[in-house]
Amino acid sequence: MPAPTASAAAPLIRLRDITKSYPGAAAPFTALDGISLDVAHGEFVAVVGESGSGKSTLLSLVAGIDRPSTGELQVGDTAVHALPESQMAAWRGGAVGIVFQFFQLIPTLSASENVMLPMDLCDKWPARERRERAMALLQQVGVLDQADKLPSRLSGGQQQRVAIARALANDPTLLLADEPTGNLDSKTSAAVLELFAELVRGGRTLLLVTHAPSAIAHASRAITLADGRVASDTRSTVRAMAHA
Amino acid sequence: MSPRWKKAIGDLRAHRGRTLLAMVAIALGLAAAGTVLDTWALVRVATRDGYLASDPAAATLRFDSIPAPLRAAVLDAVRGVPGVRAAESRRTTTARVQMNGAVLTAFLFTSDDLAGQRIGRLRSDLGAWPPGDGEFVIEHSSLDFSGAAVGEPVRLTAGDGPTVELMMSGVARDVGLAPGWMEHVVYGFVPRSTLRALGISDADDEVRLVVEDGTLDREGVRRIATAARGAAESAGVRVGSVDVPEPGEHVHAAQMDSLLYTQGAFGVLALFLAAFLVVNLIAAMLAGQVREIGVLKAIGGRTTQIASLYLAVAAMLGAASAAVAVPIAMLAGERYAALKADLLNFDLTGHTLPLWVPALQVAVGILLPVLASIPTVRRACRVPVGEALRDVGIHDEARVPAVLHRVSGVSRPVLLSLRNAFRKRQRMVLTLLALSTAGAVFLGALGLRRGVLGATDLLFAAQRFDFGLRLAAPQSPDSLSAIVREVQGVEAAEVWTGATATLARTDGTFGSGFPVQAPPASTTLLVPPMREGRWLRAEDSLSLVIGRGLLREDPTLRVGGTLRLLIAGHTDEWTIVGIAETGTGPAAFATREAIMARTGEGATTVIVRSALRGDGAQLELIQRMRQALLANAMPVASSVRVAEQRRSIEDHLLMVVDFLSVMGWLMLVVGALGLASTMAIGVLERTREIGVLRAIGARDGAILAIVQAEGLTIGLLSWAIALPLSVPMSLALGAAFGRIMLPVPVRIIPDGTAVLAWLALVLVVSVGASAWPAWRAMRVPAARALSYE
Repeated sequence: MPAPTASAAAPLIRLRDITKSYPGAAAPFTALDGISLDVAHGEFVAVVGESGSGKSTLLSLVAGIDRPSTGELQVGDTAVHALPESQMAAWRGGAVGIVFQFFQLIPTLSASENVMLPMDLCDKWPARERRERAMALLQQVGVLDQADKLPSRLSGGQQQRVAIARALANDPTLLLADEPTGNLDSKTSAAVLELFAELVRGGRTLLLVTHAPSAIAHASRAITLADGRVASDTRSTVRAMAHA
Repeated sequence: MSPRWKKAIGDLRAHRGRTLLAMVAIALGLAAAGTVLDTWALVRVATRDGYLASDPAAATLRFDSIPAPLRAAVLDAVRGVPGVRAAESRRTTTARVQMNGAVLTAFLFTSDDLAGQRIGRLRSDLGAWPPGDGEFVIEHSSLDFSGAAVGEPVRLTAGDGPTVELMMSGVARDVGLAPGWMEHVVYGFVPRSTLRALGISDADDEVRLVVEDGTLDREGVRRIATAARGAAESAGVRVGSVDVPEPGEHVHAAQMDSLLYTQGAFGVLALFLAAFLVVNLIAAMLAGQVREIGVLKAIGGRTTQIASLYLAVAAMLGAASAAVAVPIAMLAGERYAALKADLLNFDLTGHTLPLWVPALQVAVGILLPVLASIPTVRRACRVPVGEALRDVGIHDEARVPAVLHRVSGVSRPVLLSLRNAFRKRQRMVLTLLALSTAGAVFLGALGLRRGVLGATDLLFAAQRFDFGLRLAAPQSPDSLSAIVREVQGVEAAEVWTGATATLARTDGTFGSGFPVQAPPASTTLLVPPMREGRWLRAEDSLSLVIGRGLLREDPTLRVGGTLRLLIAGHTDEWTIVGIAETGTGPAAFATREAIMARTGEGATTVIVRSALRGDGAQLELIQRMRQALLANAMPVASSVRVAEQRRSIEDHLLMVVDFLSVMGWLMLVVGALGLASTMAIGVLERTREIGVLRAIGARDGAILAIVQAEGLTIGLLSWAIALPLSVPMSLALGAAFGRIMLPVPVRIIPDGTAVLAWLALVLVVSVGASAWPAWRAMRVPAARALSYE
């Protein structure tokens, strides 16, 4: 695992006493129980754990897709936990890029159009620049030649690359990926993970939910969740070792 | 085009079949409502530019006679009345015309200057105008009915005068007349020289006037007409009746408007039902896109942006439908307006639809699906992002009524069909609404049709005679009776008279004229069903039986009450002794002796029941009677056969019923489209389930049967709901028909035949609408179905 590049500057993501509970048939189910952690700029963090450990919930909270039941969540200068619903989508479109396990490309749009869609929704770039930018992103992820094809004509790996290009559409500092290689074969998975590493080397911060060992190997830090709590955090271990 | 809008178009394309169904339904509803709107607008334009532009008479004073030497004085007197803008006189002569091998009744119009007539301006359509000596110009609405052509000879006879041969030299149009073909009359224009040749005097019998203040209501015009009557009488002539129509309204306008409004209401209803189909389509589309909506929100899409996408889909549907429907409505509207114009004797040539009319239809076509979809889109777009992303694709929210879980004794596939029908309650309700409303209209229209036929039966059951002969001049009743009884083939004959009466009001004004039929009190040839009170008695002198039509004119009239009538210059107080069930027009009955005492004249009509059956035999009898009467210097001016009259009235009434029924069929088509759409969406949603059924051994036939049975379930439910729904629908249709034509006893509870007919129709619709979705369901391979999301 490469050495962590944690900086001494303010963290990009800050969680304090985050709890998330869902109503259940018998009793409420607690997905996250008092999580507190920081993620620094430029970190490649793998969030690992068994099914039901709360890792996808953690990602949803950071993305503003769900709200914590209690606690504070700061991403950059934004108190995400307090952001009104009416502003959440716009914040998310500009600040966060999300990559899903099942790609979630719009089936009726071509690859390039899928990449242009977030630009269209957030209006960050002038309309005349959007296609050029989309093409550049597709080139960056290695699927420029698939630009005008519909998702149904692309392989799983190609679709996921397009999804990554879409996540980069509005140039977010933070990327969130939920089991991005869960639906890919090992060779394609390795290529996608290498792409993620390249993006982190380029200055982005990545939070990646996974239970694939290969993904953990690419990360600079691994946070293990169990029963909604942080069971281990390799950043703490490294610090402890450094100060030992 | 931005990716957002490309997605919207792509979504429509992805569900082509359902999209097409929804589009067709909206187009149908829009075309129906649009056709009626276009018709109304065109007729309104024609009314304004044609009828009103002709400066129609605000009032007509009818006289026994205005001798030529007094004409100028009478006109000056009338013109001098305050409020009178202009007045003109003319003569209307009843004659017989032989043309194209037939003998028909003719009304001949004559004045000093037909071409220069300012009140009720006439317009030349073809040929010579005005008619010169030896010429006859036919009115436009009588041309086809007469079968004659310009350039052909016509032979006119009036009373016992000589027969004059003229040449039909042209066609003119009088937009103020009820169409000649409808009245079975040939209207014609002739110069005074022709009247002299026919042995008719130069006297006029009508003065028509227009008022200065065009905003006056009917009462205001009546006051002026009453003053004009007084002025005319002071000039030395007797006024028989004063006729004041509704200002600015053609004689048939009220009926036309009522019919158009009723059809328009059904057109709008069909449009709303079609909008429900859009709601179904959008709801189904959204159900399959919950996760996609979540993704859009995850990548920065705001709720308003996403909602506007789906509302744009609805708008695109509407716009595409309007693109098809509006031109169809314009074409159909033009045709329907031409038909209406024919009924009104208007000319639509050169009139165009105002631009706001198709623009309104386009706006409605686009906005209605959008507005109908708003609640559904709002609901779908407000699903929290996390929940939306966790959605597992198209899935069932089976909310089957509890009772269906307790059904036993049926096979599992049938049970599946029954429960499938109730999976999506909103969709089920909307589909049932569309189909059962269509069924209610269908049953209501059937009931109305039966009611109309029953009403004409009732109407004509009162007339126990076959024909009437109108004499050229009044004659002694006894002499007439003696002659007619000798003619072979006469089973029964009576001698009647009649007059035109005008209601004399307490404020000194007069109502419009209406006919008073005067049979002998002991008549056996006219036995109208009495609504209230009694029929005439021999000892009655100033007793009146009024018809239902007169009651509509003045609902305050009652049995035991009195009314002042002006008849042949005499104003008397008459007592109402009974109210009879008669036709639409205002009419009343008095004893022959009472009317003869007022007119000072003899009998005018011979009523005959023929011993001979068949049209040919009766026509021959009419000929023999004419000859017998002529031989005794009692010429016949015209004859009317009851069978023809009945046919004409029935055709007219049933035409209105048919117009209303067309709307029922239209709604049935929309309902069928709704069912087809519902079935198609349902099959798509159950693709995985169908895969499971296949995997456990269901063959094509079983899959087909399950889908068809579901369609039949919905169809049969709509059949059952339509039955009670048809009760208020029948009442509504009956009320509408009563406003348009005449109140008829509508059958509110549908009879067995109607119920079975609707059942048969709904079975055909259900099987037909389910056929394509069922076929599609059979085509889905198990493997693909099982992996479907």
